[in-house]
Amino acid sequence: MTETLIATIVSGLLLGSLYALMASGLSLVWTTLGVFNFAHGALMTFGAFVAWTVAEAWGLGLLAGAVAGVGAAALAGVLIELLLVRPFYGHRNMLLITVMTTLAAMIILQNGAQVIWGARLKQLPPIVEGNVSIFGAVVSAHEALIIVIAPLVLLLLWWFASTTRTGRSLRAVGQNQDSAALIGIDVPRAFSLAFGLSAALAGLTGVLLGSIRFITPSLGAEPLVKAMIVVIFGGLGSLGASAGAAFVIGMLEAFLVLWLGLYWTPSILFLLLILVLVFRPNGLFGRANA
Amino acid sequence: MTTSLLEASHIYAGYGEVPVLRDITVHVGAGEAVGMFGPNGHGKTTLLRTISGLLRPSNGTVHFDGDDVTIAKPSDIVGRGLVHAQQGNMLFGDMGVAETLELAAFKPRARAGAKAALERVYALFPRLAERRKQLARTLSGGERQMLSIGCALMCAPRLLLLDEPTLGLSPRLKEELAVAIGEIHESGIPLILVEQDVEFLLSLTDRLYLVEHGEVAREIDQASAPDHQEIMDMYFGTAAT
Ligand SMILES: Nc1ncnc2c1ncn2[C@@H]1O[C@H](COP(=O)(O)OP(=O)(O)O)[C@@H](O)[C@H]1O
Ligand SMILES: [Mg+2]
Repeated sequence: MTETLIATIVSGLLLGSLYALMASGLSLVWTTLGVFNFAHGALMTFGAFVAWTVAEAWGLGLLAGAVAGVGAAALAGVLIELLLVRPFYGHRNMLLITVMTTLAAMIILQNGAQVIWGARLKQLPPIVEGNVSIFGAVVSAHEALIIVIAPLVLLLLWWFASTTRTGRSLRAVGQNQDSAALIGIDVPRAFSLAFGLSAALAGLTGVLLGSIRFITPSLGAEPLVKAMIVVIFGGLGSLGASAGAAFVIGMLEAFLVLWLGLYWTPSILFLLLILVLVFRPNGLFGRANA
Repeated sequence: MTTSLLEASHIYAGYGEVPVLRDITVHVGAGEAVGMFGPNGHGKTTLLRTISGLLRPSNGTVHFDGDDVTIAKPSDIVGRGLVHAQQGNMLFGDMGVAETLELAAFKPRARAGAKAALERVYALFPRLAERRKQLARTLSGGERQMLSIGCALMCAPRLLLLDEPTLGLSPRLKEELAVAIGEIHESGIPLILVEQDVEFLLSLTDRLYLVEHGEVAREIDQASAPDHQEIMDMYFGTAAT
């Protein structure tokens, strides 16, 4: 009984970690540019595929694969910003237009992956082999590692945003573009940096997830939906809120699966989401006037 | 002609299809403090935005210190020391006072003297020093203006554009800012000061532009000008029509 409980908590932590990584990327782009990037999940898939090609097909090893996957995703993110977001900057209907253009990017990446890598199931090797036992519940060492890596990456991101000059400049751009430009921040460069960084986070999530699940062109679809629930739950505005909400949702999902089974869990999650939006339109941790 | 620090010549600019500036020409000499006034909505802010690169003119040129900066990026223009403190500036709502000031010394040229500049800003505006940790959006209107001017000083300005720094402030605060702006100019920083209050301008600047309908309707040199009362009459005389 306690073993089931611990296994569920670990599973919740794992889901929370993955959602937090996804959501922090979404939140970074949203707070800097005011764009909701629907291609975020597809960037994750892309990163996983590139990592697989380099690590498995070319046999260069997992580390090279991970670096390539993260790098390729970052590059793709920068290109998406340059080609599909920047031309519409300052446009009256920018939010709506970028919903369409980033959806287009998602479809291009997904179908491109289908053409390049085909439908055959692929998987990355785990970063570390074997199992570990946490309070008697046995989990794979790779999953345990994800639970450790995710908070570290989030901390690093928080440190970057709050203490480094570049990180602060991204926050400044998100809060007031004109004022940011007038103290000497190159606003277009900040946009491309935010997109690149966010996509790198997506790529990293893809690499981590690629050895737990099979890598298919739609690998990123479900995590994107979950990350959307997370950012709406947490309010898109801040890294801390997104991360907090990610772990709440992850834990909730793990326990819902335990109590109700896989079948009903997504519906209940959406129901909770709607309830949150009715009573707290700015999210669970959102500011009233955000 | 090249003795001017700033030379904005025959500028045409506007928003979309709506023209605002029509053939406006202003200049600022080395060490000069220039005032700018005129009725609301006649293009003063638009002119400053064009000079600092936020807005591209459809015609005309902007020269700073002899270099053509007409199509330069705002970030590069700041880097040269042409610094613009915006009207009603909200800055970065979720950033603290100290963090904002530190970040404002962003360009390498400004970074070099950031420590001294920060001390100077706190000496000029002790209220900012008291509110180091406070978020910008929780500041009062006057404190926000101080932060805005403070940010501009952190950019190592060689010319300062101040757009209505006392808008909506109480007479007491206005006086406080007037003293600070006077000190800034006396420390050797040339400026363009936009204000509605002509008397305020007369006390702080050497020369005035009256801007109407997107052009300079009148230029008033204080050295050769009629007395203050006549300038006031002139202003209200033209503004009334
Ligand atoms: N962002 C904008 N979009 C469209 N029109 C604007 C914008 N900003 C200002 N205007 C218009 O440009 C004109 C000049 O405004 P402005 O330069 O702010 O005048 P001032 O600073 O002298 O009060 C006004 O008619 C104003 O309505
Ligand atoms: Mg104005």
